[in-house]
Amino acid sequence: MNDSQLIAVLASIVLQASPLIIAVCGEILTERSGIVNLSLDGTMLMSAMTGFVVGMQTDNYWLGFLAAAVVGAIFAAIVAFGSIRLGQSQVAIGFVLTLLGDDLSAFLGQNYVRMTGAVVPRAGIPLLKDLPILGPILFNQNIVVYFAILLIVATWWWLNRTQAGLRLRGAGERPTAAFARGVDVNRVRYLYTILGGALVGIAGAAYSLNVKIGWSDGHVRGFGWIALAIVIFGGWSPIRGAFGALLFGATKALATVLQRAFPEVSVVAFNAIPWALMILVLLAVGSDYTERFIEVMPRRWQRPLRRILRVSPPMALGTAFHEG
Amino acid sequence: MIDFLVRNPRLGRLFDLLLPLLATLAALAVGAIMLQLLGANPFVAYRALLEGAFGSQNALADTIVRATPLLLVGLGICIAFRAGVINIGGEGQFIAGALPATLLGLSFPDAPAIIIVPAALLCGFLGGAVWGSIPGLLKAYFNVNEILSTIMLNIIALQFMNFLLRGPMIDPVQLQAASAIPQTARLNPAFDLPRWVPTRLHAGALLAVALAVVVYILLWRTTIGYRIRAVGFNPDASRYAGINVKRNIVLALLLSGAFAGLAGAVQVYGVSHRMITDGSTAGFTGNAGFNGIVAALFGKLHPLGAIPASFIFGALIVGANSLQRAMQVPAALITALNGLVVVFVVCSDIFSRRLARRRQIGVVEVGSKGAGEQGGGGAGERPAAAANVGPPDSGGVKPAPPATAAKVSAPIKPVAPVAGKEASSD
Repeated sequence: MNDSQLIAVLASIVLQASPLIIAVCGEILTERSGIVNLSLDGTMLMSAMTGFVVGMQTDNYWLGFLAAAVVGAIFAAIVAFGSIRLGQSQVAIGFVLTLLGDDLSAFLGQNYVRMTGAVVPRAGIPLLKDLPILGPILFNQNIVVYFAILLIVATWWWLNRTQAGLRLRGAGERPTAAFARGVDVNRVRYLYTILGGALVGIAGAAYSLNVKIGWSDGHVRGFGWIALAIVIFGGWSPIRGAFGALLFGATKALATVLQRAFPEVSVVAFNAIPWALMILVLLAVGSDYTERFIEVMPRRWQRPLRRILRVSPPMALGTAFHEG
Repeated sequence: MIDFLVRNPRLGRLFDLLLPLLATLAALAVGAIMLQLLGANPFVAYRALLEGAFGSQNALADTIVRATPLLLVGLGICIAFRAGVINIGGEGQFIAGALPATLLGLSFPDAPAIIIVPAALLCGFLGGAVWGSIPGLLKAYFNVNEILSTIMLNIIALQFMNFLLRGPMIDPVQLQAASAIPQTARLNPAFDLPRWVPTRLHAGALLAVALAVVVYILLWRTTIGYRIRAVGFNPDASRYAGINVKRNIVLALLLSGAFAGLAGAVQVYGVSHRMITDGSTAGFTGNAGFNGIVAALFGKLHPLGAIPASFIFGALIVGANSLQRAMQVPAALITALNGLVVVFVVCSDIFSRRLARRRQIGVVEVGSKGAGEQGGGGAGERPAAAANVGPPDSGGVKPAPPATAAKVSAPIKPVAPVAGKEASSD
């Protein structure tokens, strides 16, 4: 493989990872406020279908993204309403919505299978795209990829550097304390669940309009679960999450490259590798054994190692909050 | 209407039992609107559905055959969910059970059926148990979220099955044929589960019903089941009481996977007599791993409740297929109809839980009122919601025994301590 091929592969990894990054950022906003939106897989199927169909009918991909965001927001609103107002298990609601989104997208999208529609055109950024190496990888892409990159920074900044982000984290970490300081916890949770859902919707459309163009039954099945796993791997941090999405994209690209290099090994092995790796990664970041490993390291390394290897979820994740 | 049901506990309980049925009817009503929109007469369509599911001996047998894997998977789901672990890996565990069972039958085609069939079912049970215990171990000892790990293990199992059926386990006949359909050879007909000729009904259905009773006994009449339920109910209290929480989580997922694996083996030996794939999971399992979850929820996570629940679901699937043939409506409508039923059933569950909570508030009210009278005042602390429940002594609402008091759901928790504190401070 020569340099230009390598750059092309890296650029495709960034492209492949962009919808995942968007979905991961959305889910991070939701989970940091204390709600688990488990419906990601179904939401992305529905929004991918909606985005494609609307984009095709109006011949305008912007409207496709808008419609997909609305669908994502509606699914998320159901999760928020069910868990906050009705006091139901967030996991059960999310799972049922996953099944529903899968079935409903197959039903509603059946007349649009394997058709061509609007696609997001490539749009290189002048000057930046001529940068050596980085230019073709990051800046000779299209609006979806730039949005994903901006979103990583914006989400990080919003969470860690703004008042609103502090309230958001308060709702997810110690809702009673946040409530005592005047935060309307459940309103914050509604807000970020719906906002996160809209981003997940955009991610679904980013597949059907940009990365995996078109629609077929179960078009983006599985990516929602991957995004949920990456949120955990990323320790609920957008920057680490984006790194996880790129890593997942890289393992898939690597599988393709290896498959070409070793045609005698079954394609199945390479298809299964990214998933098995995901399990191993989840295992590593959550395990008590990792903590023990860190403790036997020199004192000076412990803090940075812990920051890299360990993650812990928002303390109030998945629990209901009741005022008073 | 809710008030009425709260005040009449017997009616309320009857309503609780009928609720899943009502929910199904409501979903079918919405489905009727969709059928109308597609230009099909809903009455004719539902007639076709009913006839397809119950209309003849064969139809009824097909319904039961379809319900069998749902029941078996559902039994496992009951165990897992009762232990507080969400097992979404039914699909993968189904495959993990079917593969070794099929392999056994293919490896010893001349062995006596009396040995092979039970051994194959055992293989299925063990295969599923192994596949189910992986997320169990990961969750118990490495804090890996079981929802994510089961989903990923589903995909890994699927890939592995596709690999085996396209390569090492492929039917030698298919290998020669140009079509090369990924399927194994047919098992020796001697190994087929006993069948009630001329229908397709096989002995697996009986086995599933018998196992439902076994699971009921396991969960409610043995210490093992008590521990599993205790861990699901309150892990911290269970740990304090000396129950090994980690081991019970592994056990619950292991058993859960084992039942899904058994379902896979029963499906192979009772229905398909070979393994075949279309590249997706649904091609082999028929979505039994997911629909089993729904059937279990439908049966309120009770093994005996899962029997009628999976029967109704089997009827819906079989009937919907004949509806599709009769009316020429798109196949996707059927899956959407199933999805609707699931949503309505879960909504009905929400409704009945709210009903239960209202009743609980009534119960707490009795307790807090007694405490309030003793302490002289403090009745004003009660939430407004309790006010419209009706007189506390109506309809045989008993004072809360300690066990129910612990079950009182979160929103009304503050009430009891407030009342208690006042009583003691006076």
